[in-house]
Amino acid sequence: MAQSPRIRFDPAAGIPAVRQIVDSLRVLLVEGQLVPGATLPSVRRVAMELGVHFNTVADAYRQLAAEGWLELKHGRGAVVVPRIVPAVRDGARHGDLRNRLRGLVAQLRAEGIPAASIADELRAMAKVVKRS
Amino acid sequence: MRLVLCTIYVFMGALLFELPNMTRRELLFAVPVPPGFRESRAGRHSIRMFRLVIVAVVAAAAGALLLFPTRLLNATAGAMPIAILLAAGIGFRWQNRALAAAAVQVTRPREAEITVAPEYLPWFAWLGAGPLVILAAAGTWLYLHWDRIPARFPVHFDAAGQANRWAERTIKGVYGPLFFGAELCGWVLIMALAGWFGSRRSRSRSVMLGGMIAVEYLLGLVFGLISVQALLGIPVWAIALAPMAILIPLVIVLTNKMSEPWEPMDPTPNECWKGDVLYYNPNDAALFVEKRDVLGYTLNFANPRSWLLLLALALVIASAPFIMA
Repeated sequence: MAQSPRIRFDPAAGIPAVRQIVDSLRVLLVEGQLVPGATLPSVRRVAMELGVHFNTVADAYRQLAAEGWLELKHGRGAVVVPRIVPAVRDGARHGDLRNRLRGLVAQLRAEGIPAASIADELRAMAKVVKRS
Repeated sequence: MRLVLCTIYVFMGALLFELPNMTRRELLFAVPVPPGFRESRAGRHSIRMFRLVIVAVVAAAAGALLLFPTRLLNATAGAMPIAILLAAGIGFRWQNRALAAAAVQVTRPREAEITVAPEYLPWFAWLGAGPLVILAAAGTWLYLHWDRIPARFPVHFDAAGQANRWAERTIKGVYGPLFFGAELCGWVLIMALAGWFGSRRSRSRSVMLGGMIAVEYLLGLVFGLISVQALLGIPVWAIALAPMAILIPLVIVLTNKMSEPWEPMDPTPNECWKGDVLYYNPNDAALFVEKRDVLGYTLNFANPRSWLLLLALALVIASAPFIMA
């Protein structure tokens, strides 16, 4: 039997719980591990497994709904919906992308991760992104 | 009867003597300690000190019970278990404070499965109905042999084993212990199910469910025996010692299971443990979390449902005078 996708929360990471949950779920959505029509587990169950407050998970679901990934239905929970990827027209977004990646790399280097490991990981990720 | 009481005290002492081993290896007197700390000089010293307290108080209690005159027996028999538990509590707290400097914060990422697959109870959960069936069977048997029940029968005994309170052959007198036992068993079953559905998925959760069901059997057995005692005249010492038949294997099995290094400790924040015993974390949605003092699970007192469960227990206890003679 195929294993269900998992999300991760690290209380020691220094990153707010909502952001960690949103980021983990977004990875599953972008990678297609959660496809349109899939129902997410209840807020209560996810909150209990991750050891966070109900509202934290509810906020994460709301944030992903605002991004167009989920539809929140009362009594039915959160359902993954087809999402139209917004088109990027201007070059400003590319500048933003570069800044965000630079920020992430800087953060990882500040945490002590060797530059060579980051570069290797980025190269491997680039191949995956090109294929998708 | 003195020997029966002495056996119970020694059994209590043996359980408390083993208390430091009734937790995960990463915990000692409810303090999360570094790997290998238990085997260190400080760890061994701490365990030794606690055990000295237990041995001293149990020896004193047993000595008092055997040597005190009969007129003091009732008072001694009642006071000694309280003294043993109190001394154990003080000894535990003493070592807990002594080890506070060695405490570490266990941090580990948690994972949640993104699935809506229903959560099934383990196969043995249906055994939870067993004690209620036992009590119902005892009730049916009493009903069928109603005429053989004495018009007045003993229901309470002093430390010497002499009856000092009686009940009459009425619905309340005969079935009261069964009703009360059923209430208690029902409450334990609700706790077991709430523990299963209100805690994080882990292998310890199954062990906890099994342990709670065993406790339910213990209650069912004791109240079943008390109720049929009116008809069968079961010796009081047999009723007093009966719980050990379940408690001893239960403690051995649970201690072995819980101390197995099968999964890491639940990384609950140290600051949310009040006195390292009570868990209060409003930011944790779990209703039950793994205990730190001994094996098993405890309530997250920041969860309002935990107070509902305690209120239910208070109601069960408060109902005793109304349903029992």
